[in-house]
Formats: sequence, structure tokens, C-alpha cells
Amino acid sequence: MYKYILESAGSINWMAISALLTFVTIFVVSAAMAFRSTPAYLNKMSNLPLDDSILQTSETDFRHEEK
Amino acid sequence: MAQVETFYYDNAIVRKFAYATMLWAVVGMLVGLIAAFQLIWPELNLGIPYTTFGRIRPLHTNAAIFAFVGNGIYMGVYYSLQRLLKTRMFSNVLSNIHFWGWQSIIVMAAVTLPLGITSAKEYAELEWPIDIAIALVWVVFGINMFGTILKRRENHMYVAIWFYIATWITITVLHICNNIEIPVSATKSYNIFAGVQDALVQWWYAHNAVAFFLTTPYLGLMYYFLPKAANRPIYSYKLSIIHFWALIFIYIWAGPHHLLYTSLPDWAQSLGTVFSVMLIAPSWGGMLNGLLTLRGAWDRVRQDPVLKFMVVAITAYGMATFEGPMLSIKSVNAISHYTDWTIGHVHIGTLGWNGFLTFGILYWLIPRMFNTKLYSLKLANVHFWIGTLGIAFYAIPLYFAGWVQSLMWKEFTPDGFLKYGNFLETVTQIMPMYYIRALGGTIYFIGTLVMIYNLIKTIRQGEFIGDEAAEAPARLATDNVHKGEHWHRWIERRPIQMLIASAILILIGGLVEITPMVMIESNVPKIASVKPYTPLELHGRDLYIREGCLGCHSQMIRPFRSETERYGEYSKSGEFIYDRPFLWGSKRTGPDLHREGGKYPDSWHYNHMVDPQSMSPGSIMPPYPWMLRDEMNLSTLPRKIKVLTMLGTPYPQGYEDQAVADLKKQAAEIAGRLRIDGVKDSKLEKREIVALIAYLQRLGTDIKPKPATN
Repeated sequence: MYKYILESAGSINWMAISALLTFVTIFVVSAAMAFRSTPAYLNKMSNLPLDDSILQTSETDFRHEEK
Repeated sequence: MAQVETFYYDNAIVRKFAYATMLWAVVGMLVGLIAAFQLIWPELNLGIPYTTFGRIRPLHTNAAIFAFVGNGIYMGVYYSLQRLLKTRMFSNVLSNIHFWGWQSIIVMAAVTLPLGITSAKEYAELEWPIDIAIALVWVVFGINMFGTILKRRENHMYVAIWFYIATWITITVLHICNNIEIPVSATKSYNIFAGVQDALVQWWYAHNAVAFFLTTPYLGLMYYFLPKAANRPIYSYKLSIIHFWALIFIYIWAGPHHLLYTSLPDWAQSLGTVFSVMLIAPSWGGMLNGLLTLRGAWDRVRQDPVLKFMVVAITAYGMATFEGPMLSIKSVNAISHYTDWTIGHVHIGTLGWNGFLTFGILYWLIPRMFNTKLYSLKLANVHFWIGTLGIAFYAIPLYFAGWVQSLMWKEFTPDGFLKYGNFLETVTQIMPMYYIRALGGTIYFIGTLVMIYNLIKTIRQGEFIGDEAAEAPARLATDNVHKGEHWHRWIERRPIQMLIASAILILIGGLVEITPMVMIESNVPKIASVKPYTPLELHGRDLYIREGCLGCHSQMIRPFRSETERYGEYSKSGEFIYDRPFLWGSKRTGPDLHREGGKYPDSWHYNHMVDPQSMSPGSIMPPYPWMLRDEMNLSTLPRKIKVLTMLGTPYPQGYEDQAVADLKKQAAEIAGRLRIDGVKDSKLEKREIVALIAYLQRLGTDIKPKPATN
């Protein structure tokens, strides 16, 4: 059975179509999760590289979800 | 709020990798320069095998990719991972095993490649014992990285860490799949895949080595070090999320674009093209995210060499990732493939993206770890400008050389004959470009030396902080505190789940492309007249591999009239079923050799290897006097036959016992013909050159009537 399905790879282009559909799904899901993120979360995440230690961190912008 | 803890970042391991990346930058670039100058003066190999172009080209590529860039990755990862996760590395011992293990592998590569010990697979040339060592050291790196992630104080994993995780899992999969081989001896093995299947697996690997060794870890470094250097957060964290997932999914499919118009089935070529074109979107998303991070800070870019290097690096990334998809379009690829255009393209990536980002990070990192200021901003600015000039002088002539040569290959007279029927005419035409390229490489190399001088002076004036104190609150248990949260926040707090998700994504592309090629026989139609190599031809083929001939000669005639007129019938996939490894090559510094068999008498090949210029005036091929001098080492021949039989090559049962005798018989025939043509050597039938001639005379003859060989 699997050989029959794979044999048809060259004739019906199902691979290209399934690949495209998979990509679109991944793109939509990742875009959805990006745009549904809260501003507080995005702000905290994007500031992570700037805070090596709380010695250099302002009290207001870390661990926002505990507030 | 949780209790604040004091801990120390390990800068010692970062310093080690920083020193290593500087050292190997010099070595890798120097070997590249020697190779560039050998293309102008072939005699620069000094008549010795170990310094000949075919052997040092893989040394250059391996040193640049795995030594220079590899150590650059580890330097950046070990620095950023600790700080992003607010913890020290998981284990000092593992960090040091990783460092010394990786350097040992580089040294082994530097010894074995000039010795001609190679599996002939581009960017995976190292033989099986070193492959195993790479796998072990990579696993040590993985344990250390995941151990660090698991003991973190910061709940959330910044996007740079996702890129590190995707890098680790993908390189693991690629390295294992592309190096499944059966050992013949400690220095020789045969791949389990042959011909077209081997080609697909190899270029799936090689393209994704570019993607997941030269790109994704460096994107992680960009997402950390650019905000650091600019002292402002990344432009859009949303965009970075989309960038990550889209990029890792798409990249893995693009490998077949290296095999357009070859014997690879059309469906696989089309997939490679489509996904390569789609790659523009996430790649440019990442580039714009990097450049827009500097909005409002461009005045600082004018003054700060770190930011200058980073801006040019990101721009080079944008250029290379625009050019790559363009080169994957079949009609463009028909012109670019096998030419210097590809070499120019990859050097925009390595010199511009990897090189300049590494330099920028080094200029930023070293003064901080040594608690001082950069010794000379002026010198750093000088480095920036001569480095940029070096890239331009390197790449632009090669683009021009690629276009000129390809168009010359394809040009016909009004009568329908090739206008430049002699391949060498197209080589001599582009020699000035090779001179300028060597100049560009020299300029870039001098810039690197200036940087190293500047950094050594910086190191000497500073005081190293081996253990850097930091404070952060302990991590809270989060199992029940995030009910109802967004699922993506859930996954990016869980490294193992992130690892699995990344693995699934990259495996989809690999499995869909490779499984049918391996399992379905109709993808590689068999040709009845194609027979296994004789023992002498097999030995000659392994010498061809040892000398790195495939660095300059392809064995894949594409179905264009300009190629069939010049070389003969186009290559069929069924002709390669006994080729382990496949030797299609990727660059034509010399002509294609797939239909070389029977074109010239044996003595032509003999004299050509003595002095290529005597047979082909203007040739830039080096002489190979040692092949006329050295005797064949046949100690592993029976084992080779045994391994190939095991892998499916239809030699008669027990043929390993007969192989040496058959080899000697065929060698005596060729030696006899050479003697008739005046070659004087009493041990001729024992020389390596005889095996090489046997192989060259066999090439491509299975599907055409056998002509007289003399």
C-alpha cells in the first residue's frame, strides 16, 4: 500500500501540494500565536537580552506575570 | 517574589572558544588564499600531494565552516545562553570536553584531508572515525546546553535559544543520515546510498549544513548580540516568532536546488525550487527585524564599529538569501551552476554574514570579558573598511567570471557549432577575475590580522573576569500558575517539547523528499549495460577521490545542447547505481568528465598527469608526479569488494579472492599500451597512474559503444 502511494509521487504532485498545505498551516499557526501574544509578554521577551542580572535590571520590567 | 540568588557566569569557556575562532579564522582563510593563488599559479602546490588544490580545498571549506564559524557559534552560544537563562553552564567538565573535543576533531581534519583521507562528500569529507567523534562531541554539547536550559532561573526561553535548539537537533539528524557508511579500513568507507540517492541525501545534508550551521545559530546570535550592541530590544518579537517557525520548516526542503537539471527526478527538483523561492519571506523577515532594530540609532552605527560590522553582516545575509532563491530558479541555475557565480554567492554568506557577525561579536565581547575598552577604535574601523572592500573584491569578479564563462560555454556559431569548443578558452578568459579574487581574499585576510592584533592588545591591557557575578530570583514552579495561558508560551517554556516540535518540522521535509527516492526503484531506472567497476577501475576511482578531482571536474552532463555537444550524451540516473559515493561535483574549473572514457588514448592521460600544460596549453591543473611514482596499495582491495558486494554491487560470489589477480591483469594490458606509446617504466603496471587511467577510460562508456582505447 505505502509503495503504491509513493509510486504515484511523480504523477499527481501530491507531495508539492501537501508540502504547501503543511507550510501554510505552520505559517498561520505561528502568525496567530505571534499576534495573540500580550504586549506585556512581548515586552518582557524582547528585553531579555538586555538584562544579564537583576543588578542591571529595573524593578518594573522583569517577571511581569508575577505582578 | 522568589529569593534572589547570586551565581557566576562562566566566561572562561567563552574565552577559549573566542581564541579558537580567531586562530581558525587565520588558518581557514590562509588555506583559502593558498587555494585561490593556486588557481593562478598551479605550481604553488610545490609538487607535493598534500598541498595540491584538490586536497586543500576541502581543508579550506572545513576549516572555515566547522573551525572558524563552529567555534564562533559556541563562543556566542556559551555567552548568551547563560545570560538569557540567568544561570551558569550546566557542567564545567562538559564545557571543556566540548571545547577540547571539537579542537581535536579540527586537528584530525587538518591532518587527514591533506593526506587524501576523504569520503568525497562536500562539507562532510571526514572519514567515519572522525564522524563518530563529531557525533560524540555534539552530544556532549547538547547535554550541556539542555542541562543549562533545565536548570535555568528564567522561565521563558528567548527566541535565540529556539534557534540554538533547532540547530542542535537538525545537525544531529543531518550528520547521522549523511554519514551512514560501512568501514573498509580505519581510513576508508563506502556509503550505504549510491548514485542519485547518495546525491540527494548529500545535498539535503550540505544545503542544510548551510542552513542549520551557518544560518540558524548565527540568527540566534544576531537576536542576542544585536540588541546588546545597540542597547535596545529587537524590533519585533512577533516577527521573530514567525521568522523562526517558517524558516526552520522551509529550509529543510531546499536541498535539491543543488541538483537542478541533473538525473534527480523532476518532482524532487521542483520541490527544491518551490521551497527555495519561498525561503525569501522568512529570511528577509529576519533581516528586516535585525536592521529595523537599529531604527533611531543609525547615528551610533556611524561611530560604533561593532554595529557597522553587524549591519553589513545582516545586509550580506539579506543579499545571500535573496540570491539563493534566485539561483534556485531553473533557468537561472542553468547559467550559474558549475561556475564561479556559486563561489561568489557562498562567500557573500561566509565572509559577509558569518565573518562580519563574528568580528562584531568579538569586538563587543572581548573588552567586556576583560573589563576594559577596545584598544583601538580606529583600527577596528580600518578593519571594517578593508574587510568590506575585501568582500567586494572577492565576490564581484567571481560573479563576472561566472556569467562570462557560462555564456561562453553556451555560445554557438551561426553554423551550429560551439563557438568555444576548447574548454580552456573559457578558462583563460576569466583568469583576470581570478587575480582580482585573490587580491580580494588577501585584503580580507589582512583585515582579520588587524582585528587579531587589536584584540590581543585589548586583552593585554585588560583583566579577565573568569567568573562574572550575577543575581537573579530562583525560578518558580509554573505548573499551575499559567492556566488558560496561550499555548505558545507553554511550549517556549519547555525545552524538550520545543526540541520535539522542531524535530518533527525538520523531519517532514527530509522524509517526504528522501523516502521515495530510497524506496521506489522506478525513481532510478536500471540500465542493463551498466556494470560494476572492475577492481582496477575501482582502485582508480578511489585515487580520484583521494586527489579531490571532483573539486574541479563534474561528472554530470545536463540535458542542454551546449553540454551534449561539448561532452556527449547527457547523464542518466541509471548510470550511477554503483557509484559509492556519487562524484557529480559542483564546479567546473576543468571540463566535465562523465564521458571521458575512450576520448583520448591512455598515453594522453599519462602525459597529461605528468604535465597538464603540455597536453592542454593554458591549463591551470597542477601536475601529479607522485601518481607516476607511487605503487598501488592493494591491501584493502578484497575488503572493498566484500563491502560493496554486501551493499548490493553484483560481483560474483567470492570475487574478493579473485579481485587482485584481475586487477593485475588489466593493469598489465594498460601498461602494455603505454609502453607501445613510448612510456618507459619497468614497474608501470604497479603504478597508481595505471589505475587512474583505467577509471577515466571507463567513465561514461557503459551506454555507448566501446571505442578503441588506443
